[in-house]
Amino acid sequence: MILDRHHRRQLFSHSMTVLSGLAIVVIMVPLIAVIYEAVVLGSPAFSFIFFTQRPALGCAPISGITCSLGGVSPAIQGTFVLLGLASLIAVPIGVGAAIFVVEFGGPIARVISTTADVLSGVPSILAGVFIYTILLQYDRALVFSYGSASLALGVLMIPIVVRTTEEALRTVPNSVREAALALGIARWKTGIRIVLVTALPGVVTGVLLAVARAAGEAAPLLFTLGNSCFHPFEGITQEGCALPLWIFQGATAPYQNWYTLAWGAALLLIVIILVISLTSRVVLNRLVRRMGGQ
Amino acid sequence: MSMPSEVKMKVEDLSAFYASVRAVEGINLEIPDRRVTAIIGPSGCGKSTLIRCLNRMHETTPKARVEGRVLLDGDDLYELDATLVRRRVGMVFQKPNPFATMSIYNNVSAPLRFNGRPSRQEMDQTVVRSLKHAALWDEVKDRVDSAATSLSGGQQQRLCIARALAGDPEVLLMDEPCSALDPIATSKIEELIGQLKNDYTVVIVTHNMQQAARVSDFTAFLYLGKLIEFGPTGDLFERPKEHLTESYITGRFG
Amino acid sequence: MNKDPLADTGEPRGYDLEVRHLKDRAVRMGGWALGMVHDGWRAYDQGDLAAAQAVLDRAGQLDQFDEDMEHATIAFLVLRQPAAVDLRTAAGLLKSTTHLDRIGRLGFDMARITSSGPAKELPELRSLLQEMDDIVESMIRQTLDALNRDNIELARQLFRRDDTVDRMHRQANRVIITNLEKDPALVRRLAGDLLVARHFERIADNACKVGEKTIYALTGQRRSEYLPRHPTRPYVLERPLPDSGGGRT
Repeated sequence: MILDRHHRRQLFSHSMTVLSGLAIVVIMVPLIAVIYEAVVLGSPAFSFIFFTQRPALGCAPISGITCSLGGVSPAIQGTFVLLGLASLIAVPIGVGAAIFVVEFGGPIARVISTTADVLSGVPSILAGVFIYTILLQYDRALVFSYGSASLALGVLMIPIVVRTTEEALRTVPNSVREAALALGIARWKTGIRIVLVTALPGVVTGVLLAVARAAGEAAPLLFTLGNSCFHPFEGITQEGCALPLWIFQGATAPYQNWYTLAWGAALLLIVIILVISLTSRVVLNRLVRRMGGQ
Repeated sequence: MSMPSEVKMKVEDLSAFYASVRAVEGINLEIPDRRVTAIIGPSGCGKSTLIRCLNRMHETTPKARVEGRVLLDGDDLYELDATLVRRRVGMVFQKPNPFATMSIYNNVSAPLRFNGRPSRQEMDQTVVRSLKHAALWDEVKDRVDSAATSLSGGQQQRLCIARALAGDPEVLLMDEPCSALDPIATSKIEELIGQLKNDYTVVIVTHNMQQAARVSDFTAFLYLGKLIEFGPTGDLFERPKEHLTESYITGRFG
Repeated sequence: MNKDPLADTGEPRGYDLEVRHLKDRAVRMGGWALGMVHDGWRAYDQGDLAAAQAVLDRAGQLDQFDEDMEHATIAFLVLRQPAAVDLRTAAGLLKSTTHLDRIGRLGFDMARITSSGPAKELPELRSLLQEMDDIVESMIRQTLDALNRDNIELARQLFRRDDTVDRMHRQANRVIITNLEKDPALVRRLAGDLLVARHFERIADNACKVGEKTIYALTGQRRSEYLPRHPTRPYVLERPLPDSGGGRT
């Protein structure tokens, strides 16, 4: 078929459109598939018991016997405890470091910034191994505990918080800093009480995203949390459980009911992460509007 | 126009650098107390650099440094703590920069709140007084808690002036304060400057010669980083002593 | 890379052209005024009524020059807001317009008091007045030249010549009053001569003032800065009797 230039261009344009559409489909398929699986396999586990009780004893399917499920309440408690503690560790350090990097600058600041960039790309399992090794030297009894796992997740979160906070602070125009400095406000105060406040929406978003990330990590927990998915939270020095850990345990066990609970936990985890992401968007918009638009 | 009896700030052999580039060279200047001194000159002559040396804002730029001295009532500003210097010498910038996240009230009270622990009463008094001094009180007195960004450009600039005045400085530096404003807002600020000099020493950088002529008592002409001429504004514009000055103000270059 | 901003490229810069136009106007007006002085004196001296009338008819043109000059200068001031030398030149021209107008008016007046027939009495008075006219016309030309060519020296030289005209004025007064006492019948003629002598003195003074403005435009100096008043004898009343007389040194 001999085509003139105009028609050739049209054909090219159309085929590109088709290809883009195909690409979208290719991306969406796994995502939808995963969610679909999670919903199908996990929702049967949902019930009041699911949220409030510990797992029932494992039982392999024998014809005729339906196993009771129980719930994943220790894992849920654990996840919240871990996320809370990890944030408590990561946010002050991460935000503080970012403020130092942006407001003060200098060679040390550049090192910190580069380190954070590098660390955020490092596999999360290393955070676990790192804390594991240190605590091994320090006090064996603490190696597997909520405290240890919080440290590991914190270490995971810090680079993310540093990077996102840094970016948010950099969006604050220099005129704001100059205005504050010219009033005789010290540099550190300018950084914390003015620049940070101005960049707050971006900083909060970054923190929430780091939390969402940490919520889903299983690898660090393998080295630091131990295994105590049948006991509720009893103290940060005790072994514990969290949703990702239970998913791992439940899905690999030979017990049918645990398998179902694992899928339930997976679905719950997806929902939690979704909620955090949406919340961060809403918070961002609200804060931005209240602060007069940035 | 007679020479005033007092010198408020004295610049001694000041040179200012950005890394290895010298922007301002060997400036010797006496700024009279409670008068308006204008600094004029073509683009790139160093006038912004010079004024930023007077409140030590120049050094906030990376790799910037300064040689020479700046004295305020005899105190060497470069021997004092920089933040203390900036409380005595306030500054208003070219583009109005109120704190966007704060209300009008919080903007004006910022120098108090961030540098001390003022009582509510102190803050109220200072805010009202500063807004009146900046000729903005009447326009905002019913809405001091509304966002600073709800004001027009000219109002925002007067807000910045009020904020600078709230810290009770001795000297007010203005770096092309009207450049970003329309003519009516400009004339309001020029009128304001005429009133401010009763209480403060004002130094204003402007690229607009007519503005310098309208507003200032003394004028300094800078060219390529050097101070070419300094004198009473009327004299400098009627019969400048230096050929360079005359060439500039008659538009024969620059 | 960057041209020296002060290098004289020979091309007009700033308001050079506009100031040039203003000066040209002033010089033209001065030329007109000079003509009125020249023709006015001759008409008076010759007693030529027709010539005198011709001068009177030209007065309207002088008024027009005055108005145009004022208008052009004020427009330049308000629209260009000049400074330094441009400002001083324009301000100086505004005042010089008045002086040139007066010079023209004085010529006009000489024509106005012309009576029929030339005078034959008192030849030394006649030649004294003629000499005054020569000097005064030359002074007008000189001041216009100084204005036109930005020449300070030419302007400065006017002051001495003004002193000369002053002396001649006093001398003429003495001659006239002496002769009036001797022969009152000459009063009509001599009254006119008294006025004319005074007019010459005034013309010289006005020409000087234009010169002062030229000096001011170029240097910024006002008269009191380069021509001090006599320290022990400020202005004294005119005493037309034979005496060393008062006035400026």
